[in-house]
Amino acid sequence: MIIVTRPHITDAELDAIREAVERAGLQTHLSRGEHRTIVGCIGDERMLAEVGLATLAGVESVIPVLKPYRQVAREFRADPTIVVVGEGAGAAIGGNELAVIAGPCSVEGREMLFSAAASVRAAGATLLRGGAYKPRSSPYAFRGLGEEALALLAEVRAETGLPIVTEVMDTRQVDVVAEHADMLQIGARNMQNFALLSAVGDVRRPVLLKRGLSGTIEELLLAAEYILARGNDQVVLCERGIRTFETATRNTLDVGAIPVLKRETHLPVIVDPSHAGGKSWLVAPLSFAAIAAGADGLMIEVHPTPSTARSDAEQSLTPDEFTNVMTRLRAFAAAAGRTMAPPNVLHVNTPPDAVGAGAS
Amino acid sequence: MNQQRDAKGAAAIESLRTRIEKTDDALLALLQRRMTLARGIGRAKLVAGLPVLDPAREARVVRRVATRARELGMPAEEVRSLFWSVIALCRSEQIHARMSAARAAK
Repeated sequence: MIIVTRPHITDAELDAIREAVERAGLQTHLSRGEHRTIVGCIGDERMLAEVGLATLAGVESVIPVLKPYRQVAREFRADPTIVVVGEGAGAAIGGNELAVIAGPCSVEGREMLFSAAASVRAAGATLLRGGAYKPRSSPYAFRGLGEEALALLAEVRAETGLPIVTEVMDTRQVDVVAEHADMLQIGARNMQNFALLSAVGDVRRPVLLKRGLSGTIEELLLAAEYILARGNDQVVLCERGIRTFETATRNTLDVGAIPVLKRETHLPVIVDPSHAGGKSWLVAPLSFAAIAAGADGLMIEVHPTPSTARSDAEQSLTPDEFTNVMTRLRAFAAAAGRTMAPPNVLHVNTPPDAVGAGAS
Repeated sequence: MNQQRDAKGAAAIESLRTRIEKTDDALLALLQRRMTLARGIGRAKLVAGLPVLDPAREARVVRRVATRARELGMPAEEVRSLFWSVIALCRSEQIHARMSAARAAK
């Protein structure tokens, strides 16, 4: 249930409304927007039947939520959520400016990571991705450098200023990943790992939640609800293609999911065209489609030399290809009424791999 | 010059961290006191035949601290959520106290 309040409601009136709801054993969530303030109520709404909410001072209207999810619902917030990732000004996801997360599928070493980071930043990416722990379909495939990769990601952030997005696969990794990364990614295969969703809900770090291979939109929203229910409302949803009968593309990008999600939830929505198409030449057209459909950003795999990549080689862009996509994307962004960060060339001195170098 | 400044800064942070730890200890002692009081209420409610969960009282407690926090210039929303956690902690203490009192009575 959602209580919409009158404009210029006082703190005392708001307190009284919330006490009336909480007395009945429900929780309240306050959302202050530019023009209105909303009190979202979570719990057994039948208990509110005798409270007479509509008659309380400051209440404009009381609206029932007829969906299985509550806190992620569009109605629950006065304004769309903008998730800010990283320290200081950080990188915003969900505002008018498109967020572009780019970088290698997995961190394979210092040199490749620094090179990838410098090139994606130069092309206008706003966040850096890089896998430390990789869920792979085969247990014998390369599964990431783990903590070593996390330390490298933290180093590259210090050098480039790009906030870091990396995947957390297991509840036991949440603390160590949160220590190094700015944003925790829940991968498609873990979308309904409810223990993991609750664990990332307990840390105060933004979460990038990817849609499962066979997850419906409602299931994705309910997965996000798990995170919000634990008190973490900094969640970004990511459409990354779903499993269909089609085999020409790795997955099928569900473009329709973007406007549906934007209508259903206040959370930002981004698209991963790399995993959706599975081929580097599909990244550009799928990116353009995503932005045209209303996505708040993109997540693109970029590798300095894709032919040597230890995972997802076929779908990774070279730095030049990425720059080209970003340049062409600007026209689509403008047509959709969105802005993009300007290219940001930084002269990064790749530190040598030798141990002890640079120490004084 | 820079090294001197770094050393000074590090010493200042270290000293503040020590004070934060002392404050955390004081907070823990206060929480412990609140939990002891909650166990007392748990036993008293058992005698009076009242349930542990009292949403009206909980809502009143949270409203009071939110108002007080605002007067103190603290972020009321965060303080509310902190106190809901404190209440949950003390509520579970009441339940434990009740269970052991009921066991002892058998």
